[in-house]
Amino acid sequence: MNLIREIWQSIVRRDPLSTDKGKSELVFLNVWLHIHPAKVKKESLRFKFTFYLGFITFFLFLILVTTGIALMFYYRPYPPQAYQDMKDLQFVVFMGPFLRAMHRWSAHAMVVCVFLHMCRVFYTGSYKKPRQFNWVVGVLLLLLTLGLSFTGYLLPWDQLAYWAITVGTNIGSYAPIIGGQVREILLGGHTVGEAALIRFYVLHVAILPSLMILLTIVHFWRIRKDGGLSRPLWKLKPNAPEALVTIGAPAQSAPLRTVQAAPDKTYGLMEVVTGKPIFETITPDEEEDAVFSYPYAFFREAIALMVTVTGIMAISLFFHAPLEELANPAKTPNPAKAPWYFLGLQELVSHSALLGGVVAPALMVLALLAIPYFDRNPSRRPSDRKWALWLFTIFVVANLVLIVIGTFFRGPGWALVPPWVHVVARAE
Amino acid sequence: MNRRSFLSWGTAGFATLCAGVAVSMGAVVRFLVPDVFYEPPQVFKIGDPADFPFGPPTFLADEKIYVFRDRDKGFSVASAVCTHLGCTVNYFQSDQKFHCPCHGSVFARDGIVIHGPAPRSLNWFEVTQARDGQLQVDKDKVVPDNYRLMV
Repeated sequence: MNLIREIWQSIVRRDPLSTDKGKSELVFLNVWLHIHPAKVKKESLRFKFTFYLGFITFFLFLILVTTGIALMFYYRPYPPQAYQDMKDLQFVVFMGPFLRAMHRWSAHAMVVCVFLHMCRVFYTGSYKKPRQFNWVVGVLLLLLTLGLSFTGYLLPWDQLAYWAITVGTNIGSYAPIIGGQVREILLGGHTVGEAALIRFYVLHVAILPSLMILLTIVHFWRIRKDGGLSRPLWKLKPNAPEALVTIGAPAQSAPLRTVQAAPDKTYGLMEVVTGKPIFETITPDEEEDAVFSYPYAFFREAIALMVTVTGIMAISLFFHAPLEELANPAKTPNPAKAPWYFLGLQELVSHSALLGGVVAPALMVLALLAIPYFDRNPSRRPSDRKWALWLFTIFVVANLVLIVIGTFFRGPGWALVPPWVHVVARAE
Repeated sequence: MNRRSFLSWGTAGFATLCAGVAVSMGAVVRFLVPDVFYEPPQVFKIGDPADFPFGPPTFLADEKIYVFRDRDKGFSVASAVCTHLGCTVNYFQSDQKFHCPCHGSVFARDGIVIHGPAPRSLNWFEVTQARDGQLQVDKDKVVPDNYRLMV
């Protein structure tokens, strides 16, 4: 028994979890857990403030990586075989339909959650100083999510895949000067063919996920460095007036001077330097409101993980991922629709390919990237930010309206139809 | 080594490094452009003139073209690829127009846009008669819509 205890101790190397020291060591002696602080502020854990959307998005990504690797065992990225392998996954691979459904629904859910997470960050003003750059990283992660969805869309090599990618890459070719070349490089040819499939596959399983992981690491790291998980700062007690202290080192040619003492504590001191830190700091009063990450934060994260996984599994049990006929370059389905989250874009494209397909989305992305630098209002209190909240709400609603029109109100030939024709068509 | 030569060597070295990185990036982009395309040829034979009826055009699915044969004027070949976003257009004999299923573009019998977001007319390809008497289409050669081949 002593040997077993010794082995266990050599692995965990921490005090018992009943002690505060043990709770701290659990976090900072563990390479996977030490992205957390040892203690978190109570308000950061409030479900109603963040809805845990960032966590859920990350957990969906984990599901996608896991199920995606599983699917790779039965998939060959070559035109006729690719579709054959989808049929195999549907009919002869053990749990194949379930895995494919989990992958498909997680992908859809991730697009939804990334978008909702972005809305939450905007409405709580969490992109404001010092968190501006992390918003930019977040927008890049949104684009990567859409890129992963788009590249994954081609892989089944059915009619849906073939025409969504034909339309999607043709939209890109309207970009001035480089559009045509970019499309040719992306497709490895002039039309969607075998070269396009292997390129999309490499992007989908290697390049984009790697970028996603790299940027996710930056995103999480910045959250820690910018002061931890976001919380309603405007609801906190105002800080006590700052005291004055004298600092300097005359012997090292730094004259003595009187500055405002930061009532802050920072941990992991490497060197004593002067100046205020860039990140949000906590006051000693707030320190009393903090709780240990173990068990309070970990417990909540575990619940979020379990709810996400079981939710996706439950949906996948009842709804299978769609698979249409084998891709047929000669026959365009009518109507040919992109994935739902691109239907707003397709709706714009149906009016003008250059304005709707290139100019409008480019401006949208630029506007999103510029938000933290353009919004000079330092307050995060909603009542001080009426204009910003209204503008962003208009942006969200406009996107949703376009998607709803594209999804439910467009029929054959992209003609306007009442939404119930889809229900009738399905019933038939 | 004095300060001046350190700076000039340093600058030259840094410039060389930047040039090397730029060339490498160029090479990566160039690597992604295929030198050989395993795609259907742009010039191909479609069969004997007698195979094509008068009246409604013949749709060749693999080549994505419509072959028109007019009793008085002869052969002409239209691209079936919509100029908007590349969907395959359908020709309806009932209204003698091309309809694109993706975004509702409509083209007249001569390929001119009459409705929808398509920015320009359908392409017409050069059609010639090969030595063996078969019709030959060259998709690299776009011709005016009044181009006809009399056989």
